[in-house]
Amino acid sequence: MNTFKLITRNLFRKKFRFLFTLLGITIGMASFVALFSLSGSMRAEVTRQSHAMGANLMVMPDGICVFNQIALLTGERVSETIQIEDFYAIRALEGLSVIPHLTQTAAVRDRETVINGILPQETWDFRNWRMLAGEYFSARDEHAVIIGSNFAQMRDLGVGDEVTIRGSEFTIIGILAVTHSNDDSAMFMPLSTAQTIFGREGLISYMSVVVDDLSRMDEHIAAIIEAGTVQTSTDEQLLSSVLAIIGSVNITLQVVAAVALVAAAFGTINTMMTAVYERRREIGILRAIGCKRRTIFKNFLLESGLYGLFGGVLGIIVGLAAAFFAGDFISRIGANELMKGVTTEATLDINLVLATIGVSLVLSMFSGFIPAFKASKLTPTEAMGYE
Amino acid sequence: MNNSIIRTENLEKIYGNSSVKTHALKGINLEIPRGSFSCIIGKSGHGKSTLMHLIGGLDKPSGGSVFIDGINLSALNDNKLSEIRAEKIGFVFQFFNLLKNLTAAENIQTAMMFGKIPTKEHAKKTDELLQLVGLSDKANAKPGEMSGGQQQRVSIARALANNPDILLMDEPTGNLDSESEEEVLEQILKIHKTGKTVVIVTHNKELAQKAEIIFEVKDGKLFSI
Repeated sequence: MNTFKLITRNLFRKKFRFLFTLLGITIGMASFVALFSLSGSMRAEVTRQSHAMGANLMVMPDGICVFNQIALLTGERVSETIQIEDFYAIRALEGLSVIPHLTQTAAVRDRETVINGILPQETWDFRNWRMLAGEYFSARDEHAVIIGSNFAQMRDLGVGDEVTIRGSEFTIIGILAVTHSNDDSAMFMPLSTAQTIFGREGLISYMSVVVDDLSRMDEHIAAIIEAGTVQTSTDEQLLSSVLAIIGSVNITLQVVAAVALVAAAFGTINTMMTAVYERRREIGILRAIGCKRRTIFKNFLLESGLYGLFGGVLGIIVGLAAAFFAGDFISRIGANELMKGVTTEATLDINLVLATIGVSLVLSMFSGFIPAFKASKLTPTEAMGYE
Repeated sequence: MNNSIIRTENLEKIYGNSSVKTHALKGINLEIPRGSFSCIIGKSGHGKSTLMHLIGGLDKPSGGSVFIDGINLSALNDNKLSEIRAEKIGFVFQFFNLLKNLTAAENIQTAMMFGKIPTKEHAKKTDELLQLVGLSDKANAKPGEMSGGQQQRVSIARALANNPDILLMDEPTGNLDSESEEEVLEQILKIHKTGKTVVIVTHNKELAQKAEIIFEVKDGKLFSI
């Protein structure tokens, strides 16, 4: 007989109570793991998207709010309020490489799709694209589309397929090689074609800019603002704005996880208090045969700690599984453009694993503290119910 | 005096709060010689169990002192008192007080966890004790799978787990049928012959007749018989 055996015997003697308490902790810890894992991958994804844009300055319609700026990273539609003349004026500035984007939405094969109007040659050079299949645009006003590799896979489309956009038939002439950006999940057509079929002649949504000399960034920004009715944001500013939004979302998710953890902690307190009440006589017997107060305290604390250990380990498994399937589901349905068509796998972060087990252990032992203290304070005679 | 293993001086125990007080023990002076077999008799509610709890260090007196082998229990902190209970005193209770989720052998070994017997000797010592009380075949039986007499014999084996000098028994046959009572009594006499000091608290006069020394507790006071 040893302490561990004594504790585990007590732990498993009420199997359903053990199971339900463990479930409470597991759910709490799983939500903790799943939300941290998902928010971590979302943050990493946004950072990666930002770097994959290839631009270090974005030119946006004047007055665009910070929440709409996220669309620049996610590839969603941005309102088309910049005059094409502004693009020409900015492109004429020295030390800059500039490409325009017109983003529009249309139903393609019964699904809403963001369609990007681009200048074919300029964008090809700017983005350093490669073709996976088919060919790239050969003319600035070609009546054709190319698609990203994930878009092709998700929509089951290939080179030569026909799609109808705003009543016009388009042939998919090429599929882009993987870029690890939102371009993988997008559809592209020449800018002039897009302006025509969407009735947005002379308008664009935003511009991507590469500044040759980063030390002159302020000077370039001033020149751009002078040249058109636009505002600018560096890639770092854009990233920090979007990460701030994600951060506030994460805080909300973390509060949800915290509530689940607090509920689990109360469940553990309840279980341990009940155990102390039910085992009063046994505590008295143990005390009578020589068990010290601190041993009673330690045993109850370790018993609640074991709930935390088991719950933490199970929480990691369940949480990562939930994050994996949730990420996969989000990716499939495109509910979150940040994750649409890109990898959202829940990564096994050793820091998260250690933090989860640590939090679970501390929380459970903290929950077991008061019951353990009450148990240790019982005198042998009162615990055995004498007098 | 030097031969007394248990001694009390003006032992007092008062239960209750400032408004309602029960004077359970009133200045008890008791001496029990080493290796003796004593019985403390008395009617229910007259304080005999209270006296046993104080002698065994299970409870603190309101006044006076208890000396076990010359050690004043009143001067000890809870840790030291626990050590005394683990090493010098073995308890046997009326309702056996075995841990229900442990086997007979595990119940005995649990007591050993709090004593000074090395862990590697636990199994061998447990076998010897079960053999002593005639329950070698019940080592893996849980309390619910044994008769009252068998449970009490396991309880006696547990009380002897750390080879204490004193055995304190509170109505050890009080919850047994006559056949089991005989078995347990036989065990007690056998143990006493090994040199242990046995103190039994009982209202069973037949059992008390077998003791070398008999005390009676009446209205919180002690009388030698």
